[in-house]
Amino acid sequence: MNPQRQSLEHIRHLAGAELSLKARLAHVALLLASLAMAAVIASLWLTEPLLPMRTQIAFGVMALIGLGWSAFAIWVLRARRPLYARDSVIAGRMAVTFTSVFVGGAIAMVVTGNAAAIGMLALGVVMLAAAVRILSDARRRFATLNARRAELERA
Amino acid sequence: MSPEIHHDSRADELLAIRCVLGERDAFDELIARWHEPVWRYLRCLANSDDATSDLSQDTWLRVMRAIATLRDPASFRPWLFGIARRAAMDRMRRQYQWTVDDSAVLEELPAADVEEAALESDLALLESGVASLPLPEREALALFYLRELRIDEIAGLLGVPAGTVKSRLFRARCLLRAKLQNEGVIP
Repeated sequence: MNPQRQSLEHIRHLAGAELSLKARLAHVALLLASLAMAAVIASLWLTEPLLPMRTQIAFGVMALIGLGWSAFAIWVLRARRPLYARDSVIAGRMAVTFTSVFVGGAIAMVVTGNAAAIGMLALGVVMLAAAVRILSDARRRFATLNARRAELERA
Repeated sequence: MSPEIHHDSRADELLAIRCVLGERDAFDELIARWHEPVWRYLRCLANSDDATSDLSQDTWLRVMRAIATLRDPASFRPWLFGIARRAAMDRMRRQYQWTVDDSAVLEELPAADVEEAALESDLALLESGVASLPLPEREALALFYLRELRIDEIAGLLGVPAGTVKSRLFRARCLLRAKLQNEGVIP
């Protein structure tokens, strides 16, 4: 096999691993879960001033771990496994679902008299708004690309 | 712009859009369509088949990771060759030196020219003539005679005015002609 042909086969093989949708969405799930974890822990930490020092330190460390995983997932999604237009719509829906569940849980806690959950609810609302915005942008881009695609296919 | 080139541009844009959307089949088509021109361009910049294969792999990895953010699918071709060029330049920077190719490919030259240089010995001389050109002229020659990029696209890719590309092409042809005349390949 000549070097050019060999290179082509190698790149086709590489594309199979590189373009895995499962790996992309797994990192989206990791990002959402780690953000939710950091938000819950940070809310508890900040709204419970009477906790012993060692518990506060433990909460701080756990919140940092959550943010660390979020940063890792963001790096992967930006540099290694970028989301294509279709993936972005799926990721946006996942984000809206996750954050809605989060907000629902926070509302339930506030209603049952847990005042500490107010901070969690506020964070959840901010995250839900961001998720809705991400989904809306992703849908718009997806629609624009599909419209241009249809135009080119008709020509 | 000829109807054929226009049609190719539309086909490229459509393929690029399908890739940006994330269609797996579109990537297979993209690689099948563009692997060879990119490989030939990189072969002109690298000094061996092994180095070209490494560069080709690096280029396609970059393409798969960056195409999701491609803003203008209509300018896919210069974008693709720009990535290939950056991959080659990054490799050169890593090596801290540039060695002159000793076996540049001839496929970049138009078929008619290759037919004229029918004898194998003449082809070898032509090959060494292309390899002896300075990098800017050799690169412009390769991009232009691949028949994949227009002058304005090459200018955008290299970050120089269109006039500079034309002068590099002119200089490349003059140098090549002089070299071939000295070798007695052409009168």
